[in-house]
Amino acid sequence: MASYFQVAPLALVLLMFFVVPVALVTAVSFFRYQMLVGIVPDFTLKNYIDLLSNPTTWSLYLSTVKFTLIVLIITFALGFWIAYFLVFHVRNLVTAIGLFLLCTIPFWTSNIIRMISWRPVLGKEGLINSALISAGVIHQPLNWLLYSDFSVVVAYVHLFTLFMIVPIFNSMARIDKSMLEAAIDAGAGRWGVVWNVVLPLCKTGIALGALFVITLVMGDFFVVNVMSGGLSGSATSGIFNDLQFLNYPRAAANAVILLVIVLLIAASIFRLVDVRKELVR
Amino acid sequence: MSFTLNPKSAPKLDAQASGEIRLVNVTKRFDVTHAVKDINLTIPHGSYCCLLGPSGCGKTTILRMIAGHETPTSGQIYIGDQMVVGKAPVERGTAMMFQNYALFPHLTILDNVAFYLKMRGVGKDQRRKRAHQMLERVQLDHLRNRMPAQLSGGQQQRVALARALITNPRVLLLDEPLSALDEFLRLQMRGELKTLQAELGITFVHVTHTQPEAIALADTVVVMDHGRIDQAGTANEIFNWPTTPYVARFMGGQNVLTGTVESASGAMARLRGPRGELFDAPLSPAPTIGTPVSIAIRRDRIHVGRVPGEKAELQPNSVAGVVESTEFQGNFVKVNILVEGGGPFVANVSDEEYFGELVKPGDRVVPRWNPEHVHVLSKADSNNAQKPYSEE
Amino acid sequence: MAANPSYGPRPWTFYVLATLFALFVVFLYGPMIAVLILSFQGPSASLVFPLRDPSLMWFDELFNPRRVGDVVGAFSRSLPLALMVMVLTVLISVSAGFAFRRRFLGSSLIFYTAIASLIVPGLVLSIGTLVTFRYLGLSASWYTSALGAHLSWALPFGLLIMFAVLGRLNPSYEEAAYDLGASRWQTLKDVVVPIVFPGMIAVALFGFTLSYDEFPRSWLTVGTKNTLPLEIWTMTTNVTSPALYALGTVTTVVSFVVIALALGSIVIIQRRRSTRE
Repeated sequence: MASYFQVAPLALVLLMFFVVPVALVTAVSFFRYQMLVGIVPDFTLKNYIDLLSNPTTWSLYLSTVKFTLIVLIITFALGFWIAYFLVFHVRNLVTAIGLFLLCTIPFWTSNIIRMISWRPVLGKEGLINSALISAGVIHQPLNWLLYSDFSVVVAYVHLFTLFMIVPIFNSMARIDKSMLEAAIDAGAGRWGVVWNVVLPLCKTGIALGALFVITLVMGDFFVVNVMSGGLSGSATSGIFNDLQFLNYPRAAANAVILLVIVLLIAASIFRLVDVRKELVR
Repeated sequence: MSFTLNPKSAPKLDAQASGEIRLVNVTKRFDVTHAVKDINLTIPHGSYCCLLGPSGCGKTTILRMIAGHETPTSGQIYIGDQMVVGKAPVERGTAMMFQNYALFPHLTILDNVAFYLKMRGVGKDQRRKRAHQMLERVQLDHLRNRMPAQLSGGQQQRVALARALITNPRVLLLDEPLSALDEFLRLQMRGELKTLQAELGITFVHVTHTQPEAIALADTVVVMDHGRIDQAGTANEIFNWPTTPYVARFMGGQNVLTGTVESASGAMARLRGPRGELFDAPLSPAPTIGTPVSIAIRRDRIHVGRVPGEKAELQPNSVAGVVESTEFQGNFVKVNILVEGGGPFVANVSDEEYFGELVKPGDRVVPRWNPEHVHVLSKADSNNAQKPYSEE
Repeated sequence: MAANPSYGPRPWTFYVLATLFALFVVFLYGPMIAVLILSFQGPSASLVFPLRDPSLMWFDELFNPRRVGDVVGAFSRSLPLALMVMVLTVLISVSAGFAFRRRFLGSSLIFYTAIASLIVPGLVLSIGTLVTFRYLGLSASWYTSALGAHLSWALPFGLLIMFAVLGRLNPSYEEAAYDLGASRWQTLKDVVVPIVFPGMIAVALFGFTLSYDEFPRSWLTVGTKNTLPLEIWTMTTNVTSPALYALGTVTTVVSFVVIALALGSIVIIQRRRSTRE
């Protein structure tokens, strides 16, 4: 049937560049690493045991989870209200699309550049500090603006809020306006309409947005590294370090652990929400 | 569906609870266009009122202004003795049934019906119990844990009704409630709405574009055209004594003819039509010679006869034409006649009369009528008012 | 009321949310504009404000590989790579999108695999791809392994867009064409593709920019020669001059040009269609 031919290229690429790599990483995670020799094919759980018993691993993962939760909450709050504004407050459809595109354009530029561009803004001699000092609000530059947890969160929010806005906007735009009127008719106030009608009907969009943000933050290593000035670590920085020392098996094991956690989170989100129905219309 | 209601719970008839609706000089403007202009209307308490007209005539706008989902640009709206413009919908004692029902897809129908109570802070068990009772009355309680998507159109409508009635409104507003139903269900629901209104004793305002529906249901029919009320009255008045050519044409039961006054004798005036036909109209006192006058004759009061001979003289109170098509309607046959010089003309011929003397498309005919059945319209027809559904 | 669709004065919540939106836009664009301004920094080589003696000297530096890094070289790899990814993404995603219009054996499996490919951290995949190539005895390079890694990221996005676009395509259009005597190929050419074309441009846009800006999945898979994002990455630690900002400005301008081309072509197509009528 035609469908099989049409989907074959996709299936092939996914096989070669996703399934096989992931399978091999899993395989390598059971290999041994020997100093000066390299990777030795074997079947050992040593890598996993090493990692899971090492407190550094736990603290790195904890740090990642901490960032993930904070970023999730902020991007959700921002994403929801911005999507709400675009869908329900902007009257002209063309204007709404224009404003929406305005938000998406930065997404098309390089992540790294966007990240570095926070340096002259948050730094000790940066824009914000200079502005606050000249306005007389503070006398010493705030040094926690850059190279700190704060700047990491700022960078994450800056980069990833869009991934919340798009699916939520999509879900919200589908809500029939008469539903809102029916709620008002039955006595719901402004907040009541949001809480009882808009929010439940956007569940899928929120779930998808959350999924994107979680996987992006958990899988990231360069934002954390650059924006914290090397002070904070993440789960992936642990993998990064092992790779620097060519300890592929342990890096692979760490990668598998990360992968399993991310897939578990994804699976539980898919449980809650029928993603396929939302995406494949 | 039988809707049993405890008589003790019928609304008390004091001024506060009165469901009388008064619109005073209400205008609604969207940017530059007027949706409705200078509307003055009184709907008595406990009556069934139908707002009738084609799409875009402003009927839905009026309904939404009464509901509070639109605000008039100017004018006042009174429900009972309260001026309600500026008040939230729920404070007006109105409840709306939306055209697409607008049932919340993420709630069971029980929670849909209980929604109003939830907004008022009624506890979960209490409100679910009351919603359950309401669903029993519309005989849908066995489906109370289903989601709206799992119900049929007719069932969804009953849920929407229950959801509106649980608010104990003094006015129920229905936005084309029967349009989405198939023919059989529509007629059935029509009867049920009428019974329901009689039992509840509250005011119903029902928007529709279907003439038979309006005259079947309403105590007051309000015919609208391009943002204005053309005529408001009982169904009988609207149907038999339309005041304007628009209403006469829109209601569909009349033929409209126009002529200029030629002579007058006693209570009747004689008019001459554009192609020389002669019509008698009851006009007293007689207007000046030359005044254009439009008349209406009911379609079922027309007798269709074949042309006796090739060049017979045309009698007064008849026109000459050719049969265009015939439509069998069960009790009668609708004969569409193309009158010489243009203009549609319809005769509803009883099946006995039709099958007694058959006319076929292409036959030349002379429809005629008794001048006693002629009704004079308040204004003369202009050519622009030909089609009630024109886009001007 | 916020949800009241009637025209009239705006509620106070509008002003609050509009302010939030404006602040968000400033938040999004602010840093980029700061970098843009600073890339014109003069010989003081200051990495922070204020701007002294504006000059183009740092743009000039970009072409000097010893001081700054192999920018030109990296660019000469990133651009063709992005174009290849763009073309392949369009071809493969569109084809797969059509496949998914019908249920077929394995459709769920492929769907969830594609979603998984989107979710999996890029670092994991680049390790895996490198290892795969090692075991196949091939060496990693930007036009083989990196290409594949980029596709594993771009194709799911392309697929999702095609789902959205084809989902809105009412099958009755094709049935009507068939009714009027069009062959399958003609229906595709004259009915489906024209309707779906703006979506295809969106897929192309995604394909290009996702590849052009991609970092994690490029990291181990490019082999010995870097793509532009990787080059920038090394520069963040090595380079302490505004040349980095100049580079940022240049890449941003390239991105904007690409976006403008994509959006512009959609607008032109829409306009040409309506004037033809």
